[in-house]
Amino acid sequence: MNLSGLIEKEHLPSGREDLAEPLVAHSQRERILVAMAEACARKGYNATTIADICEPAGVSRATFYELFKDKEDCFHAAMEVSLADAMGRVVSVYSPDKPWATMVRDAAAEFLDLLASRPAFARMALVEAPASGERAFELYASGKRVLQSLLDRGRDDPVEEEAIPSSAGRAALSGAESLIVGQILAGNAERLRELLPDIVYITTVPYLGQEEALRQSRQAEKLLEAEGPLSPPGG
Amino acid sequence: MEQAGVGDRWRPPRGRHRLPPEVVARSQRERLLEAAIRVVAAKGYGPMTVGDLTKEAGVSRTTFYELFEDKEACFLAAYDNAVDALVRRVTRAYESEDAWPDRAAAGLAALLETLAEEPALAKLSLVDIGNAGPAAQRRYRAAIQRLTPLFEEGRDFAPGGRNLPANTSRMAIGGVTGLLSDELVAGRAERLPALLSDVLFATLVPYIGPDAAAREVDRLKR
Repeated sequence: MNLSGLIEKEHLPSGREDLAEPLVAHSQRERILVAMAEACARKGYNATTIADICEPAGVSRATFYELFKDKEDCFHAAMEVSLADAMGRVVSVYSPDKPWATMVRDAAAEFLDLLASRPAFARMALVEAPASGERAFELYASGKRVLQSLLDRGRDDPVEEEAIPSSAGRAALSGAESLIVGQILAGNAERLRELLPDIVYITTVPYLGQEEALRQSRQAEKLLEAEGPLSPPGG
Repeated sequence: MEQAGVGDRWRPPRGRHRLPPEVVARSQRERLLEAAIRVVAAKGYGPMTVGDLTKEAGVSRTTFYELFEDKEACFLAAYDNAVDALVRRVTRAYESEDAWPDRAAAGLAALLETLAEEPALAKLSLVDIGNAGPAAQRRYRAAIQRLTPLFEEGRDFAPGGRNLPANTSRMAIGGVTGLLSDELVAGRAERLPALLSDVLFATLVPYIGPDAAAREVDRLKR
């Protein structure tokens, strides 16, 4: 079992604990990384202590320091493993055959689903990592660059390239991100998918224009309706 | 910012004086608020101690604890104070123009200039605030929300404004602050005013589309 699979199972919204399987880690290192992500989600990176990590992981402090230099080192490792997995999943929707807007929509849907199903990762990657030291920030920024390149790469129909600032995609991505972070901070990570139509709009409008971006956004909305609610109401 | 620079703020004379105690306390409080911004900018929120604050502000520990419960309370008060001044200045610039794109351009220009003039404040407001725990993060989001009405007017200005997604203004603001933080993280606070075209485009494009946004940016640049 890999780390992301483990992180996935933790901290389902209250009332749904019965859905979580018992957490089984195969190695001390993985248990520590999972405990790190959980502690961060619960109390934030700054407030997390080594004891908060060791106790749930069932390891001694000595073991912790054999495996990691310090808390930052451990956080970095947890972020690195889960981010690589997450980005792999999002990038896998990319296909040169898909129209660009479809690719953007599918990648956004994949990303939102991933964050919704792994609330601890969502918090670690988008709330804690940008604010937890330079190394963690660099990882966060590299993840953002992957999404950015996905946004830019598929754009095979540059509309009046010179009129549109090169920062337009980066701004759109930050706009989408702030909406997602707001939802995470409000404790609504499990409902992230509802943001899909808005995110499709903001990421496509600089390149496709308003009319087409709105059409894409409505299509995304229909897609959500067709698939039905992702989580039980009131869950 | 509106107030005088940090160095030339009036201080009560040292030693015996007849100033009313509330005047002295206000001055000490303001010095601590300014100190909080400088110290956080210099060493970050996490490592900042109450001792750093009292030393920088030239007040005693006893005075500090008379005025603030802990370093977080002092930092949050400093943040609120700074954001208040910033929002006032941006709003005043925004309201000095008529048509929405012109208003947005004026407000954004004031925002960029203010942040460039006070790089410490800029980094604190947009970058470091995330380091200071959940209360600070909520403060940050509340501060950003205060700019929402300026963006939301784009909806009335745009021909199809009512059909736009409900979160349009939140995403537009997120785009603008994202571009600003990228610049601040890269240590280029002084170059913020050069971002005006980019942040203006990011503000306008969700409301009026790329062609009209590019035209307006071009017009307002002149």
